[in-house]
Amino acid sequence: MAQPRTRRQKEVRRHLLLYAGVTPFVVIAVFPIYWMAITAFKQEPDLYRMDNIPFWFNLAPTLKNFQILFLQTNYGAWIVNTMTISTWVAVITLLTAVPAGYALARLRLPGAENTGIAIFMTYLVPPIILFLPLSRVVADAGLQDSWWALVLVYPTFTIPFCTWLLMGFFKTVPMEVEEAARVDGCGQFGAFVRVVLPVSLPGILTSVIFAFTLSMQDFLYGLAFVSPGDQKPVPVGVPTELIRGDVYYWGSLMAAALLVGLPVAVLYNFFLDRFIQGITGGVVK
Amino acid sequence: VVALPARPTSRRTWRTASRQRLIFGYTLLAPAALYVLLLVGAPFVFSLYLAVSDATVGDPVATFVGLENFRAAWEMDTFWIAFRNSLVFLVVAAIFKSVLGTALAFLLLQDFWGKKVIRGLVVIPFTLPIAISVLSWKWMYDSQFSVINWVLSRAGLIGSFGSPDWPVWLGQPHLALAACIAVNVWRTFPFSAIVLLAGFTSVPLEVLDAARVDGCTFFQRFRHVVVPMIFPILMIGFLFDTVFTLSDLSVVYLLTQGGPGNATKILPVLAYQIGIQAGNLGRGAAIALCLVPLLFPVLILVLRNIKRREW
Repeated sequence: MAQPRTRRQKEVRRHLLLYAGVTPFVVIAVFPIYWMAITAFKQEPDLYRMDNIPFWFNLAPTLKNFQILFLQTNYGAWIVNTMTISTWVAVITLLTAVPAGYALARLRLPGAENTGIAIFMTYLVPPIILFLPLSRVVADAGLQDSWWALVLVYPTFTIPFCTWLLMGFFKTVPMEVEEAARVDGCGQFGAFVRVVLPVSLPGILTSVIFAFTLSMQDFLYGLAFVSPGDQKPVPVGVPTELIRGDVYYWGSLMAAALLVGLPVAVLYNFFLDRFIQGITGGVVK
Repeated sequence: VVALPARPTSRRTWRTASRQRLIFGYTLLAPAALYVLLLVGAPFVFSLYLAVSDATVGDPVATFVGLENFRAAWEMDTFWIAFRNSLVFLVVAAIFKSVLGTALAFLLLQDFWGKKVIRGLVVIPFTLPIAISVLSWKWMYDSQFSVINWVLSRAGLIGSFGSPDWPVWLGQPHLALAACIAVNVWRTFPFSAIVLLAGFTSVPLEVLDAARVDGCTFFQRFRHVVVPMIFPILMIGFLFDTVFTLSDLSVVYLLTQGGPGNATKILPVLAYQIGIQAGNLGRGAAIALCLVPLLFPVLILVLRNIKRREW
């Protein structure tokens, strides 16, 4: 009778040790977001009192910061911009990356492997090197000062990433599925559209998610190409438009950051393993 | 005699089928390839051209000036400060995030109740859009109402506001650089941990068991089995992080804009300020391109590792 008890005690002790080890990491990781959240709901005077404990409300929580955001700033427009940009980017990415991923993974094109790697490598050309020449491209296309500029440039990183990701997906679809469709009288294109695409739906959905989340991670392109206040996406609009000179409206700033940051973080969280798998290629098998 | 005419026909259909397949394949590939070629390849070449021209935002007709932009950058004190800061930033951040990442990875390798939730919480810094999380840090680094200082002050480590040991995180040169590095470490240590975890879990248990049966000690198993097996993925994670850390402008730009003085000026910030804010496209492009020699070895290494992908 004594043995299971000690084993259980051992288990409990092991858990306690592990939690003790993990807690500092969780606190470090989450505190800035907690701080963001609590600030967003605090009244202005509550932010600037050092005599109270700042980790909780010393005055009643308020929604005023959110009201200001929607009534007195372009925040609503930025959300619409962000959603529209991301949707367009997702559409462009799918229309290009799905066929390309399929062709590179399935059609035994000569040099497919190297072409795939070359396309993926362009994901590693950082925006800081491309933004000056692209500013000229954007100007020549007449898109400067409108969010359409971002619809044009964001696919430069979503296409390489998603093509690579989809190549991996298409490789996992058994060749027999496609061959069976061909035997049943589908052409090459028919087999692709009717059999391979439906089977690869999870991969395609993942690509859509990445088109959204990777677009949200950009700051430089938005900062460099879009200056009118009502044309900016959220991650650029919030830090550049909500700070007027030296005055920081921390309540509204944090509200703005929280409202968009949290859903993106949660969504990305679910697909993080896919992202890691994507960039580490097939190195992890 | 009967079989004879069939041969050329079958060969012809085979040949046309394969030609069809190639045409079909290249047609499918074309949009993505063209997009990348026109909006990444061409701009990259164009940036080489900008770097040797005197193009400005106001004067788009550029003339060739040779290496003048590089020479000018070379003679700029700010350029060398930015170069040094970029390297310090990269190295110091890499040390901290690998230590933190490794520790976290070993913890998450264990089985415990609620691990999924904890993992989800710990990776939030990496999944939050950077421009948004930096704002929270900026508020935490506030010169007067910094919550970090509140804690330090209550713990008795520093005096109250106004005392000489009250740290102004973004206002004092060394602190400012450390503060920027801290944000980068905060954002990317979960990434290091997750990459490492992916590496560990990719080592098949049978291999470890086999090594154990062969009489390997824990250290030998680690040294001769685990490390070689996870090395490629570690390299890739490390290299990706290097590229993103070296080329990221948002943390420093939003926290300090490179100040105070030039204490946190890094190459991307300098390139932005000269290329866009001062409108000197040529010189900005030249400065941005100075990242390439730093990035190039990294790219080569990624390429060598990625080739091991199983097809």
